[in-house]
Amino acid sequence: MSRRYDSRTTIFSPEGRLYQVEYAMEAIGNAGTAIGILSKDGAVLVGEKKVTSKLLQTSTSTEKMYKIDDHVACAVAGIMSDANILINTARVQAQRYTYAYQEPMPVEQLVQSLCDTKQGYTQFGGLRPFGVSFLFAGWDKNYGFQLYMSDPSGNYSGWKAAAIGANNQAAQSMLKQDYKDDITREEAVQLALKVLSKTMDSTSLTSEKLELAEVFLTPSGNVNYQVCSPDSLSKLLLKFGVTQAATEAS
Amino acid sequence: MSIFEYNGSALVAMVGKNCFAIASDRRLGVQLQTIATDFQRISKIHDRLFLGLSGLATDAQTLYQRLLFRHKLYQLREERDMKPETFANLVSALLYEKRFGPYFCQPVIAGLGDEDKPFICTMDSIGAKELAKDFVVAGTASESLYGACESMFKEDMEPEELFETVSQALLSSVDRDCLSGWGGHVYVVTPTEVKERILKGRMD
Repeated sequence: MSRRYDSRTTIFSPEGRLYQVEYAMEAIGNAGTAIGILSKDGAVLVGEKKVTSKLLQTSTSTEKMYKIDDHVACAVAGIMSDANILINTARVQAQRYTYAYQEPMPVEQLVQSLCDTKQGYTQFGGLRPFGVSFLFAGWDKNYGFQLYMSDPSGNYSGWKAAAIGANNQAAQSMLKQDYKDDITREEAVQLALKVLSKTMDSTSLTSEKLELAEVFLTPSGNVNYQVCSPDSLSKLLLKFGVTQAATEAS
Repeated sequence: MSIFEYNGSALVAMVGKNCFAIASDRRLGVQLQTIATDFQRISKIHDRLFLGLSGLATDAQTLYQRLLFRHKLYQLREERDMKPETFANLVSALLYEKRFGPYFCQPVIAGLGDEDKPFICTMDSIGAKELAKDFVVAGTASESLYGACESMFKEDMEPEELFETVSQALLSSVDRDCLSGWGGHVYVVTPTEVKERILKGRMD
């Protein structure tokens, strides 16, 4: 390994790699898993909360899920402080677009705009990349429901189901097996919870360790982003039979 | 002719018992010519906060879009809606930023604050706030509106009576102003619902 090509973000190694970007992805590999699944009538985001302590002050704010605009939300994995900066940037970008064009920013354009910001930190300025991966779930009138995954290099792509954070490869292969193209939103929730329960390290799954959010259309045709309350989440976990330890559920 | 009188406008907001009403005329003109008779001068910021902007229509539209921008970001960061008092301070600050090249608007802000207490205020085009307990007015018909509101206003009116009072005050005042009129648009807001009504007045 050519360690001498590590310390600057803005140079390639002889093998053509950007080490700082790869190290950023390492950092994300230690963070709580987040899974996103696209269905015909909505997109589902599930996240594993890493920090659970009795001493933690309870608040209604979420740790893994954030609203970017009325029609786009994201799940994060990685360094939270880096994520906060990028989420704020994304929110401002979405509002600037709405101010200029008087309509909601298309999801892919928002993701691309944020990824352009991330890319800048891999090419100039001498600053390290952001240690965050995102799963963006949103709806726009051009392409309907969409799910995008982006990483510290500034790369992004659209997915039907994706996972980021710890054990993401295991989660991704499980999703590949069980995902069907005509999956409904309820089935997507079930699948996401099932996959997450299998990839999580903890011995038991309670609603305190998870976050669930959905992006869907209301009957009146408006996009809605809703975070599941802890009570509803507990009921869902019981309903789908995933409250047991990961080893028992099969 | 003053730039504030280019498009013509009439705005009034009144406080009632745990409710408020905000009303505007519907005319959009270019000096003496009437261009539209369904112009929206009052916009919703959130379910319990309304903003009316009188004066130059283009500045009113741009100012509203900028305020919506700021409010949206506030909502996302603070995970709650802005209080009317806070919003009034924001409007005032935004207007003062353009102290030496101002927006030619006079805003009227009306909302329900903590404990559903109604809040109304107006300010001049560079952000000097004027809080009132009873009513605030703005626009080319403001002088007539001051007179009409002063005589018709009563404290603690219920929503239905408030609607009647605001409507009568608005319609009688715009009748005396050639630049505003063509009906009225009234919002009566209580803690539980928002009632929007269109008034038919003298269509001239």
